[in-house]
Amino acid sequence: MLQYSLRRILGMIPMLILISFVVFSLAKMMPGDPFGGEINPSNTDPKYIEEMRDKLGYNDPIYVQYWNWVKGVAQGDLGKSTTHKLPTLDIILERMPNTIFLALTSLLITYVFAFILGMYAGRKPYTLADNFIAGYNYFALAVPSFIAGIVGIYLFSFQLGWFPFSGSVEVGLKEGSWEFIQSRIHHVILPALILGLMSTAQYTQFLRNDIIENSRKDFVRTARAKGTKESKIYNVHILRNSMIPLITFLGFDLVTIISGSIITETIFTYPGIGKLFVDSVATRDYSVMMSLTMLFSILTLVGNLVADLLYGVADPRIRLD
Amino acid sequence: MEIVTKKDVQPEVNMKAPKNLSPWAIARKKFVKNKLAMISLAFMIVITLLAIFAPLLTKADITRIDYMAMNAAPSSEHWFGTDTNGRDVFARTLYGGRTSLLIGVACTTLVILIGTLIGSIAGYYGGKVDQFLMRFTDFVLNFPLIVFVVVLNTILIGKISGVWTLILVVSFLSWGSTARLVRSKILAEKENEYVLSAVSIGCSPFKIIFKHLLPNVFSTIVVQASLQMAILIVFESAISFIGFGVPADTPSWGNMLTEARESDVLQNKPWMWVPPGLAITFTILAINFIGEGLKDALNPKSLR
Repeated sequence: MLQYSLRRILGMIPMLILISFVVFSLAKMMPGDPFGGEINPSNTDPKYIEEMRDKLGYNDPIYVQYWNWVKGVAQGDLGKSTTHKLPTLDIILERMPNTIFLALTSLLITYVFAFILGMYAGRKPYTLADNFIAGYNYFALAVPSFIAGIVGIYLFSFQLGWFPFSGSVEVGLKEGSWEFIQSRIHHVILPALILGLMSTAQYTQFLRNDIIENSRKDFVRTARAKGTKESKIYNVHILRNSMIPLITFLGFDLVTIISGSIITETIFTYPGIGKLFVDSVATRDYSVMMSLTMLFSILTLVGNLVADLLYGVADPRIRLD
Repeated sequence: MEIVTKKDVQPEVNMKAPKNLSPWAIARKKFVKNKLAMISLAFMIVITLLAIFAPLLTKADITRIDYMAMNAAPSSEHWFGTDTNGRDVFARTLYGGRTSLLIGVACTTLVILIGTLIGSIAGYYGGKVDQFLMRFTDFVLNFPLIVFVVVLNTILIGKISGVWTLILVVSFLSWGSTARLVRSKILAEKENEYVLSAVSIGCSPFKIIFKHLLPNVFSTIVVQASLQMAILIVFESAISFIGFGVPADTPSWGNMLTEARESDVLQNKPWMWVPPGLAITFTILAINFIGEGLKDALNPKSLR
């Protein structure tokens, strides 16, 4: 397992280099100064631009520029944001916790509901409640999460007034105080609930089918023959076997949550890295935009790697090279 | 002797009422019996016809900004009301269907073509070709699609933009999963003896792939196409919703929803965002049901 993991992690390196080539060439195609954020985009005096380009090394050969960029990124120098007048890295690090908080909360909701619904439907298949859950699954798989978000804001924020419709925390609260934490949780519930309930469908369906399949296996019959309680058979014997394949979903979920954050955070005007990305495009803050592009690519790569490794954990027979 | 004569009679009866249907006929029968799939298919046909004949159904001008009729609530004149620019929402929903469905169909076609081609070549040849093509597929799969569409949109803005640019960009970035799927199916299929005999009588690899292998993985590809179409329509609407997909002057279901980003519209003028939202949801639901129906119908082991 360790050897396999190491090989997979090493296999990531060429992919990372290729992606950095692509991001670099895309950045080169951008107008202005995507790496440093040093050229003032509103100053269009050709002499000023030429001077700055020379100073920043944009007239160097392309491979020198690439190497300088890679060196910078490796040392955490992502340039400066033209909008925020701050180092890009600081801004990203400031927004990152919000995205992670939202992602973890929605994952938690996904798992809780998947286990409740999936276990119930798997234990009592083809009943009214099971059909109802199946209907919900179809619905949740078909409704795009951003439409669910819009409807959610309309219903719960505007009509019922239960949750705030934007931001991650109320302004003016002292950081670390009890009200601050309360307000953060209050702000995260609606987006997390909608994201979580939408993605719970595939988990529920998978768990249900797997429980039904496992309940016909020999080890269940043995357990029944020994007189094990029915609830223990389902909650311990079967669940333990059905849970393992579920963890393979986690890697793909990471990928979905990462790229989905761009859309979710736009709907809920939630200040995470997804919103930062969309804002940076709108304000032509190229250094932030390209750094985030690189970050999103790396996170996707890691998510796919995690998915592959978890496959190996779930089914030790799988050893793809 | 008697048994022999009886055997002679039997085929005649069979010829009158042939019980052995072709696999395709069985699949068609199963599909027709599936009520949900048939309703969905009817729904999709209606939606497609509405989109195609939109110019005949409504005389409203979808691009002209009308300051006299801004933000009008639904009325007999404007069935679904008008949007913040005074354009008829009903007409825009019909025209939006044109764009969204065109993108869905065109992207699916391209994705399936590229994915099938790369997947079948990689699966059939194996070895170095396979390794190279699959590393390339991994490379494409590792791009976060939304991010790259947004970045490319920023670079290309003002130079080339429009529906077809979006279709090409999205298609060239999302064929990866299809290629993987087709490859794995071809890998399993090519171990069969009919492939060996085709090789031994001197069939060219091209002919083996297209005449012998692909028809046998066709059912998988059809199901994958329906899945992809749902995913791609959602993707179009999502990317247009945040403002980086279909340009604003062409209505699509996604960029009609952009209006809902303003909290005033979202709160007080639901007629602007409910029709496109419902249109997307029901279309995806219908495509999913058709896909499920096809999966069931094309699977010879399924009981239904």
